[in-house]
Amino acid sequence: MASNKKVLLKVIILGDSSVGKTSLMNQYVNRKFSNQYKATIGADFLTKEVTIDDRTVTMQIWDTAGQERFQSLGVAFYRGADCCVLVFDVTAPNTFKSLDSWRDEFLIQAAPREPDNFPFVLLGNKVDLEPRAISAKRAQQWCQSKNDIPYFETSAKEGLNVEQAFLAIAKNALAQQNQTVDLYNEFPDQIKLTNTQRPSNGSDSCAC
Amino acid sequence: MPTVPQQISPVEEQEKYLHDALGVVKSQAFHMNRALDKNKLMDALKYASAMLAELRTSLLSPKSYYELYMAVTDELRHLEIYLLDDFKKDSKVPDLYELVQYAGNIVPRLYLLITVGLVHIKTNSSSRRDILKDLVEMCRGVQHPLRGLFLRNYLLQCTRNILPDTPESDVDSPEGTVKDSIDFVLMNFAEMNKLWVRMQHQGHSRERQHREREREELKILVGTNLVRLSQLESVTLEKYQKMVLPGILEQVVSCRDAIAQEYLMECIIQVFPDEFHIQTLTPFLKSCAELEQGVDVKKIVICLMERLAAFSQRSDSLDSDGTTALQDVQLFEVFSDQVSSIISNRQYLPPEDMVSLQVALINLALKCYPKRIDYIDKVMLSSVEMFHRLGLDRLEYHSSVAKELQKLLKIPLDAYNDILVILKLKHYSGLMQHLDYNGRKALSIYILNNALENDTIVPTPKEVEQALSLLNTLVCEENENPIGDIDLEELTEEQCLLARFIHQLKSQVLDEHYLILTVARKILGTGGPLRIKYTLPPLVFQAYQLAYKYKNSNEEKWEKKCTKIFEFSHQTITALVKAELAELPLRLFLQGALAIDQISFDNHETVAYEFMSQAFSLYEDEISDSKAQLAAITLIVGTLEQISCFSEENSDPLRTQCALAASKLLKKPDQCRGVATCSHLFWSGKSLASHKEEAHDGKRVVECLKKGLRIAKQCMDVSVQVQLFVELLNHYVYFLEKGNDQISIDILNQVIKKIKDELPNLESSDETEQITKHFNNTLEHIRIRLESSEDDLIYKGIEI
Repeated sequence: MASNKKVLLKVIILGDSSVGKTSLMNQYVNRKFSNQYKATIGADFLTKEVTIDDRTVTMQIWDTAGQERFQSLGVAFYRGADCCVLVFDVTAPNTFKSLDSWRDEFLIQAAPREPDNFPFVLLGNKVDLEPRAISAKRAQQWCQSKNDIPYFETSAKEGLNVEQAFLAIAKNALAQQNQTVDLYNEFPDQIKLTNTQRPSNGSDSCAC
Repeated sequence: MPTVPQQISPVEEQEKYLHDALGVVKSQAFHMNRALDKNKLMDALKYASAMLAELRTSLLSPKSYYELYMAVTDELRHLEIYLLDDFKKDSKVPDLYELVQYAGNIVPRLYLLITVGLVHIKTNSSSRRDILKDLVEMCRGVQHPLRGLFLRNYLLQCTRNILPDTPESDVDSPEGTVKDSIDFVLMNFAEMNKLWVRMQHQGHSRERQHREREREELKILVGTNLVRLSQLESVTLEKYQKMVLPGILEQVVSCRDAIAQEYLMECIIQVFPDEFHIQTLTPFLKSCAELEQGVDVKKIVICLMERLAAFSQRSDSLDSDGTTALQDVQLFEVFSDQVSSIISNRQYLPPEDMVSLQVALINLALKCYPKRIDYIDKVMLSSVEMFHRLGLDRLEYHSSVAKELQKLLKIPLDAYNDILVILKLKHYSGLMQHLDYNGRKALSIYILNNALENDTIVPTPKEVEQALSLLNTLVCEENENPIGDIDLEELTEEQCLLARFIHQLKSQVLDEHYLILTVARKILGTGGPLRIKYTLPPLVFQAYQLAYKYKNSNEEKWEKKCTKIFEFSHQTITALVKAELAELPLRLFLQGALAIDQISFDNHETVAYEFMSQAFSLYEDEISDSKAQLAAITLIVGTLEQISCFSEENSDPLRTQCALAASKLLKKPDQCRGVATCSHLFWSGKSLASHKEEAHDGKRVVECLKKGLRIAKQCMDVSVQVQLFVELLNHYVYFLEKGNDQISIDILNQVIKKIKDELPNLESSDETEQITKHFNNTLEHIRIRLESSEDDLIYKGIEI
C-alpha cells in the first residue's frame, strides 16, 4: 500500500465500570483529569494523531461503558479493532477478576483473524491510590499466561505512564495492521458489475 | 416427495440482509478509497454516496442497522481524513458544502454534509456556530425514526470535541460559546427523543412488544446527547442549573412517554456528576412526580439516593476546605419532602413501592448522617402516617408490602446492632404495629437474636419496659392468635430465646437492677402458663444472684434488701405454682433455700424454713407420679443436707419429715431407696445444734438402714430385692468407713450372705449381670481395704 496513505488505528478500551477508562482516554487525548464520576453509556471515541517511526497515525480511541446494561445496541464497534486495551483498578480485586471475561468477550465479538496473536495491552490503573489489592507481579503473571501481553501501571489522575502506555498501544496496533495488510489484500470478496439483486423494497417509498 | 422451499428464520433473514448490505458497503468503500488515492474527489463522493445509500434500508433491525452504520462510518472516516488533509492546503470547503447537497437522496446527502461540515469547522472554526446550527436543522429532513436516530447520532459523534466549550462573553463570537453547544445538543436531543417516542405509535398494535424491545435497544442513541452535555467543561453548576437540566427535564416531562421518561431520568443520574445532583435535587425530584403512570419512579429516586449515599462515603465528597458538600445541602430534608410528595401525588403507586422509597430514605440517612437517628424516626413517622392514609393495617405476613416493611424495620437494627437505639426511635413500635401477628413475631425474633448476638445489656427499668413491650408477641398471650394454633415446639424455641435475653436485663446499680426485675416480672407475668415456665425462672435466678451481690456490697441496708429480694422470688415462684407447675417451682424453692442459707441475712432461718416448707408442700400436694416423687425427695434431702442455718427446732421436724415422706412412698423399692438416702441427713447434715458441724447421729443412721433392709425384704421380685441389698450394703460400707460405730460387722455379714444366697437363683439377664458386677466390685473394695491397711481393723470379722 502507498506509504503516504494516512493510517487510521482503531483502539478499544474495555474493563469494569469505574476503573478509569474515560479518565485514561481524557488524560491521554486532552491531558485533563476530573475526580467527578460520570458513567459512560454506550460507546464514544476520541481521535489523536501520533507519530510512530516517522509515520503520522490517527488513533481512534473507543471508550466504552463498563456496565453491560448501557450497551443496548450491542458491541458492533469492536469490529475492525487494531488493538484492545484492558483496564482494571489495582485497588479493586473484582475488576482484575473480570479481565478474562472481557478478553474472551472481545475475541468472540470482534472475531479477529488470528485471535491468538491479536494485540492486547493491560493497564493497572489508579496506582496513586492505597491500598493496593493486586500486585504488579500478579498482573504480570496474568499477562504472561495470555501470550505476553504488555502491562503498564498507570494513574490517570497523575498522568503517570499514560503516554508510554498509549504509545505502546499504538505501536502494537500498527504492527497488527501492517501484518494484516501484508497477508490479506484489501480487495472486496467480489466485485459485481451488474446491479445487485436485492429485494426492491430494500428502501421504502420514502425519498430519504 | 414434494419439495418444500426451505424456510429461513427471521434471524437468518436478518443476517442475509446485513451481509448483502455490508458487501455493497465494502465494494463501494473500496472504490471510494481508490478514487481518493487518485485524488479524484468527485468520484470518491459518488462512491461514498452509493455506500451511504445502504443506510436507507428498512429491512434491518436496530442491532443490524447499528453494525451497518459502524461499517459505513468507519469508511467515511477515510474520506474525512482525506478532506482534512486536502483542505488544509486549499480551502475550497464552502464549495463542497454546497456541492454535496446535490446528492440524490437525503440520507446520503446529510451524512456527506455532516462530514464536510465537520472538516470545514476543523479547518476554519470561524463559521463553527452557523454550521452547527445549520446541520442540526437540516437533519430534520429525515423523519424516519431509525434512520433519523442514527443520522443524528453521527452528527453527535462527529461534533464531539469540536463543540464550542468556552464560557459566554459579551462579544459576539462566530466560533460560538458553550451556550451554542448547549442549544445544539438540546435541540438534537429533543429531535431524537421525538423520533424515538414516535416509534411507539407506528405499526400494528400487536407488534407492541417487538417495538418496545427495539426502542429499548435504541435508547442509548438518545442518551448520548446527555453524555455530550456532561462532557462540556464550561457547563458549570450554574449553567447546569439554569440551562441544561431545565432543558432536559422539559423535554422528558413533555414527551409523555413512559419508556423515554424512565430511561432518560436514570440517564441524567448516571452521566452527570454527583456534585451537580446535590444542588438540583428539588427540580429533579419534582419532575419525577410529574412522570407518566407506567414509569417506575421508585427505581429512579432510589437510584439517585443510592448514588448520593455512595458519594457521601467517598473521599472526593470533601471540598478543599475539608467540609463535605453534603453539609450545605439539606440532602435528607429535600429527599424526605420529595418522597412524601411523590407518595401523595401518585395514587397508583403500589404500597410496597412507597415503602421501598422509605427504605431508600433510611439507607440514605444512615450513610450520610449516621448520627442523626432523628432522621430515621422521621421516616418511620411518615411511614406510619402513610399507612394511616392508605388505611393499611395488619399487613399480611407474606404480602410484598409487609416484606418491604420488615426490611425497613430491620435496617436500623442491622446498622447499629443495638436494641437500645431502636428503643430511642419513638415511632418504631408504632410502625411495627402495622405488621400482622406473624410479622411482628418474626421481627421480634430478629430483634431478640440481634440483642443476643451483640450481648446488648438493657440497663434501665424504662428501657426494659420498652423492650418487652416491643417484643409483645413473644411476651404476652395474644388473643389475635387462636390458642389451638400454637405450635409447642416453635413456642419453646421462641421462649428459650426470650429467656436468654432476660439474663441481659440488668444494671450495675443494684437498686436499679432490682427495679428492672420487678418491671420485667410484671410484664412477663402476662405470658400465661405456657410462657412463664420459660421466662420467670431466669428472673428468679437473677434475683438470687442479686442477693449475693448485695451481701458483698458495702450497702448498709443489704439485709433488708435481701429479705425483699427473697419475698420477690417467693412471689414469683408462687406464680409458677399457680400455673399448675410443680417440679420447676420445687427446684426453685430449694435453690432459694440454699442461697438464703449462704447469704445468711437477718432472719434468714425463717425465710429458709419457709422455702423448704413450700418445697415440701409442693411435694406433698402436687407431685403424684411415683418416679417424680422419689426424684423430688432425693432433691429435698440433698438440699437439706447442705443447709446449716436451722436450729434444732426447725431441723428436727424437717429431717423427720423427710424420713417419713420417704417411707410413705408408694413403691417398696422407692421407699427403700428414699429411706436409705435419708440416713445421710443424720450423719453429714448440719444444724445450729451441732454448731454447723456434721450431726454424726449414728443411731438414727442405722435405724434408717435397718428400715431399708426391712422394706427390701418385703419386695416380691427377688431380682429387685437383691439389687436393693447391694445398694444398702454400699450405704453400710460408706458409713462404716466414715466411722459410724453403731454399725456392726454382723449386719454386713448378714447382708452379704443374703445376697450370696439369692444371687445364683436369679435368671441370667443384663440386670443380673449389672447387680453381680456391682456386688463383686463392692466385695473387691472391702478386700482391698482389708489387705492394704493392717492397722485398719474396721472390717475385722467380715466374711467374703
